[in-house]
Amino acid sequence: MVHAHDSLIVQTIGRVLIPLIQLFGIYVLCFGQFGPGGGFVGGVIMGTSLVFAILVFGLRGLWQRVVFRVIRGDGVGLLVFAGVGGLCLIGGGEFLNYTDLPLPGIEGATRRFIGIFLAQVGVAIDVAVTALSIVLNLADSSSET
Amino acid sequence: MIPHLPALIFLLPFAAAISMPLVSLVRVTWCRGLTLGVLVSMAVLSFVLCHQVVEYGPFHYPLAGWPPPLGIEWVADGLNGLLLPILASLACIGVWYASPTVVDGKGRVYYYTLVLLLVSGLTGILLAGDLFNIFVFLEVSALSSYALVGLAGGRALISAFRYLILGTLGASFYLLGVGHFYAVTGTLNMADLAERLPSILESKVVITGLIFMLIGLGIKMALVPLHGWLPDAYVYAPQSVSPLLAALVTKVALYAVVRLLYWVVSEQVIGQELPLLLLSSWLGAVATVVGAFLALSQQDLRRMFAYAGISHIGLIVMGVCVDNPTGFAGGIFYLINDAIMQAALFAIAGMVMYSHGICEIADLSRIRGHMPWTLTALIVIAVSMIGIPPSGGFFGKWYIILGALEASNYLVVAAVVGATLLTLGYFVKIFERIFGEREPIRGGVQAEGPLPMRVSIGVLAGSTLLLGILSDSVIRLILDHALPR
Repeated sequence: MVHAHDSLIVQTIGRVLIPLIQLFGIYVLCFGQFGPGGGFVGGVIMGTSLVFAILVFGLRGLWQRVVFRVIRGDGVGLLVFAGVGGLCLIGGGEFLNYTDLPLPGIEGATRRFIGIFLAQVGVAIDVAVTALSIVLNLADSSSET
Repeated sequence: MIPHLPALIFLLPFAAAISMPLVSLVRVTWCRGLTLGVLVSMAVLSFVLCHQVVEYGPFHYPLAGWPPPLGIEWVADGLNGLLLPILASLACIGVWYASPTVVDGKGRVYYYTLVLLLVSGLTGILLAGDLFNIFVFLEVSALSSYALVGLAGGRALISAFRYLILGTLGASFYLLGVGHFYAVTGTLNMADLAERLPSILESKVVITGLIFMLIGLGIKMALVPLHGWLPDAYVYAPQSVSPLLAALVTKVALYAVVRLLYWVVSEQVIGQELPLLLLSSWLGAVATVVGAFLALSQQDLRRMFAYAGISHIGLIVMGVCVDNPTGFAGGIFYLINDAIMQAALFAIAGMVMYSHGICEIADLSRIRGHMPWTLTALIVIAVSMIGIPPSGGFFGKWYIILGALEASNYLVVAAVVGATLLTLGYFVKIFERIFGEREPIRGGVQAEGPLPMRVSIGVLAGSTLLLGILSDSVIRLILDHALPR
């Protein structure tokens, strides 16, 4: 169990900053298609915002149970990644060969764009949830996971 | 589907491992069924892959479709095509054996997730076509084995931590070596390296890199001066884990050494310009004799078996390093045998502990008359470990000795014979405790242990005999398909 921070200044700044951090995380994730950025960095930023929210507003009661259930699914991101690769297998290409992603009506280069983006989303989810679960396990190793 | 087999065989256990925590949210009891199902289908696919490789030659699988020197390539040839089915079937048997002993609740989810991750890591090492991927999968399998060893808690945590430190050291040494190779050649692909290395083999960078990699893998496979982590880790690991670890982890590291020596640094070069093979065979000779001596002096059953495994690693190293096809085939054949025998030995020790709570050799007389089938299996495995004719162990040692005679490497011959005598010694020590004392059998209850344990021990013991009977065709398979170029 993590208690809420009792300073009004921290809580107010947190309320302003957290959405901005999350927006920036999504921006970095999407910008990875064109320049520096991508799934890992975007995921770290998203994870940081979640950790920040827990440190500022605390975690108890119903939300605690929900969060501890959610971090059981830290394989979901990897599943998205492997799933995109598996779809390429179904489309007849090699594992992760996005040209063979079975998307009707979309041509080669666009398919690659979408395939890489989906894989990056998977990486981002995985990194964010892993960061969250490391912090929660360090915060209270005795609570139920 | 056939051309995608290498990817499918890896993806099955991997996808199952990462979805295991989600499955456990629905119902915890499904974990075991899912794991067994995945491992069985993986075994079937590996047998299909093996058949394809034997019939139509090696597979090259470029991941994401990028061609090899630039992209990442997975290769399935005769050697790993032969070892993959063994890996998958042993994992199946190991998991089924362990099903009565796996604790309920959180530990169950951890166990099945980690076992599947371990299996996918080992599959990755077998299939990898470049040096860096071997490092990645070495780490995947090693991280899950540290966690598996530590699952029991208590003393196991200390030995798991020691295993973690030494294993990470080994992986770092290996990575350092890979870095050296990359610095001078600019490539990590094995086939590409094999073309570029011979012209620059005098370079000190290549030689130090090779030595770093061999030391790193030596720690992973517990070659004698570097074996310190192994006995504690296997003795204090949960009973459900030690058969799997003992059968698979060190053998796959040894496979990586074979790949490195014969497929990356080509054979002629290490035979002529560096006495690397000769040196390795001497190291193997030291390892097998020292390991057998250490096993002879143990009081704890599982610790004795752990040292027996260390001794047999040396034996396989000698076999693959005598530098001729006969010895190589003998070594690989013995590797398969040793994987099965180690699994069986730790399974028997685990069952004796589970049913009667015995772990000291001195207390073994209490199981006489209570576990007739287990004792039969133990005798069969002992026959194979010592190397008496109808068993697989005999033929492995026989071909290793033939290869050593062919290469006139008499130290190896002496070491194999010495290790055989010492092996006989420590099994005599066990059987003397069980059958030697003529005290009356107390009680009439036969407590063999739960059905999955009994059946899997029987299957393992039977397959060592089967390997002995089929040794001719297996050796021919290795000679025809698994030899380096």
